[in-house]
Amino acid sequence: MKPFQLKTLIAASSLALATLLTPSAQAAGTLNVAIHQDPGNWDPIATFLVSWGAVGSQVFDGLIMRTPDMKLVPGLATKWEFLDKNTKLRFTLRTGVKFHNGEPFDAEAVKFTFDRLLGEEGKKGPQQSNYNAIEKVVVVNPTTVDFVMKSPDPVLLTKLAGYGAMIVPPKYITEKGSAYFGANPVGTGPFKFAEYKPKVSLSFTKNADYWGGAPKVDNLNYRFITEPATQAAELQAGRIDVANQIPLAMIDTLKKDPKLAVQSMDGPVALAMRYNTQRGIMKDREVRKALTMAVDRDAIIKTILLGNAKPIASFQGELSFGYDPALKPLPFNPAQAKAMLQKAGVKPGSTIQIDFRGSDSNFREVAQAVASYLQGVGITASLKPYDTNVLLNDIIPSGKTGEMWQNQWGGWTFDYDNTAYSMYYTKQRWNPFDDDAKLNALLHTQRNTWDQAARKTTLQEIGRYVADQALEMPLYSLNTIYGLNKRAKNLALPADGRFRFVDATVE
Amino acid sequence: MSGFLLKRFLQAIFVVLVVTLFVSYAIRLSGDPALMLSQGAGSVTEEDLANIRKGLGLERPFLVQYAEFLRGAVVGDFGKSFMGGTPVSKLIADALPATLALALVSLGVSVLVSVPLGIQAAVHKGKGIDQLIRIVSLVGLSFPNFWLAIMLVLLLAITFPILPPSGWDGPASLVMPALTMAIILSATNVRLVRTAMLETLSAQYIMVARAKGLKDRVVLYKHALRNCAIPLITYIGLQFGNLIGGIVVVERVFNWPGLGTLAFEAIASRDYPVLQGTVTVLSVMIVAVNLLVDIAYGLVDPRIRTK
Repeated sequence: MKPFQLKTLIAASSLALATLLTPSAQAAGTLNVAIHQDPGNWDPIATFLVSWGAVGSQVFDGLIMRTPDMKLVPGLATKWEFLDKNTKLRFTLRTGVKFHNGEPFDAEAVKFTFDRLLGEEGKKGPQQSNYNAIEKVVVVNPTTVDFVMKSPDPVLLTKLAGYGAMIVPPKYITEKGSAYFGANPVGTGPFKFAEYKPKVSLSFTKNADYWGGAPKVDNLNYRFITEPATQAAELQAGRIDVANQIPLAMIDTLKKDPKLAVQSMDGPVALAMRYNTQRGIMKDREVRKALTMAVDRDAIIKTILLGNAKPIASFQGELSFGYDPALKPLPFNPAQAKAMLQKAGVKPGSTIQIDFRGSDSNFREVAQAVASYLQGVGITASLKPYDTNVLLNDIIPSGKTGEMWQNQWGGWTFDYDNTAYSMYYTKQRWNPFDDDAKLNALLHTQRNTWDQAARKTTLQEIGRYVADQALEMPLYSLNTIYGLNKRAKNLALPADGRFRFVDATVE
Repeated sequence: MSGFLLKRFLQAIFVVLVVTLFVSYAIRLSGDPALMLSQGAGSVTEEDLANIRKGLGLERPFLVQYAEFLRGAVVGDFGKSFMGGTPVSKLIADALPATLALALVSLGVSVLVSVPLGIQAAVHKGKGIDQLIRIVSLVGLSFPNFWLAIMLVLLLAITFPILPPSGWDGPASLVMPALTMAIILSATNVRLVRTAMLETLSAQYIMVARAKGLKDRVVLYKHALRNCAIPLITYIGLQFGNLIGGIVVVERVFNWPGLGTLAFEAIASRDYPVLQGTVTVLSVMIVAVNLLVDIAYGLVDPRIRTK
């Protein structure tokens, strides 16, 4: 049989098989979305995973909300003001809003939500620590609540727009218990919970009474798919409309498919090679600067990441509050780097170790590229891959890293405070090495002021100071990449992955 | 026979105990789930971490935690997942049928394919058909299972979209994962059947049977196959352990909602109860299959029954 005939035969028989085997076509008006992980619990206070955030905003609302371009806008609160020298934050609440079970949303629901988050129930989960600046919530009248502050938290408004601070129904939780609520969530959001199959799928129907206008699609269906390659395959097969993990190598293939599209935009994730400033040659600031200058980050972005990233000069991307456009990355200059190393007395052939997340195949290539650039200035770098969780939770916090280690930070608040404080304040979890009084003072100052302009100045100063001390080799801020089926329209894709498919339609 | 069974049964329980003790201890060496859970939190204090640990019951001594796990496991209660609090027994009950379906179908397909092929190869030893079967099985042996899985997805879900690429959407979803496993298993099984059959065919009683003028088919399938069944059953029983190992990988590629996926994610997220539960169930399954193999000996070969 000639190859052509064989192909025709296969095509014909596959067509016949298709009608037998493939499940019936998707119902009109259902949007299918792939998520890389099942957080296992839909209670806002139970988890900190990004995958929770990707789903949570469909079923819950916060007092404040964030638009897809990251602006803070009124949510369940219509306005807010600071009182009593910023020790009190007063919210005026939206009226006529009901939870999906019919329970009314009011000041009591807000108080219940925060009493729960800040009390015994919240202690069991990781969210509480983000809201510790709040002393208590006081009901003024059914449509007004006061947040009494223990200490200032300039990022509070952002935090109220997401995750743990989503407003939950008091009566429902009191009657059914937290465990039931975690598997059968009820909120005020645009979609109502329909069915949850752990590790498999989660489905919603539209909330026709949504205060912000009913969603356009009838059903929303999430599937948990861990492997990026499998997400891409499902997208190609037309069985999902939105994929949130696309392997870079697949982007071109997907773009060539007339049914599919790929969207790549600035994202919250920044990457750096942090320096172990207490070890060997790395104690010398000039050596650290030289290593930073030895690596051509633009080339890495272009060839390995295929342009899906932007170079950075501090450990944050352009969307982050505190980003300083005037601060430029150290230039790629191997000759000067070599001279600086020589001046510092570093012998050619000196060895260092780079620790990185072994499961990240893209970063493995980046690490190899960094090592070969360092080889170019006479430094021999050995690569040590770790399991991501081991590196993040054991090696780094206990200070057992090599001379350089990969640090990747999500910064969901899009505020440099969150990153800088965790990375540079003395004895923070991801700062095993640096103890700098000036840096601590700056971090403390910005965290204790509500004045955003003053904060921005301080945050930019922190960025400059860290760059000047060369505490890390800033690499790039990674794009958020979505694989899409063109039949889905008006998706309003957010940079931080927290979808809200209110206006989305499906052809 | 009953004394032998009792001894084997007690041994099996002992093995499961050792496995669960080891796994429960080992995963606690892998690190602190409280750190995992609070990974993205802005500034977590030691106090916050201690609260989370206490909520998970991790502040107690290891042996107390293990004893509690055992007490629950006896009645099928493996506690609650750290990631979300779903009862582990529910997660396992959801995942077990998917894994069993995949294991049994792929093992079944592999036996149906490899026994006739192995026999044909043995009967035609050294001839063209034997060569062909051996080469094909060698090719099958050389495929890494994840690579084969990805190739099947490309071919049957994307180039010719006749099957769903992943997940569970009815029986059609079972085809590719089972095929992947069956191809890998058959490659080894064919060679095993061929060798066992060759050995049997050279035995004296086969020559006697042929001399009596029995038909080839009767000689092969009644006399020879029954006699080489023992090494085959032993091997397939032992293979069950490997099969489960391979399933972990294949389940991941196909996003198969089974125990492999569950165990894999539990390791990644340091979800002690889920890992303990899945490992217990998997080890009970493997040990039980080995026990069945021992019993099957007796059924197939009367000589063992009387020993």
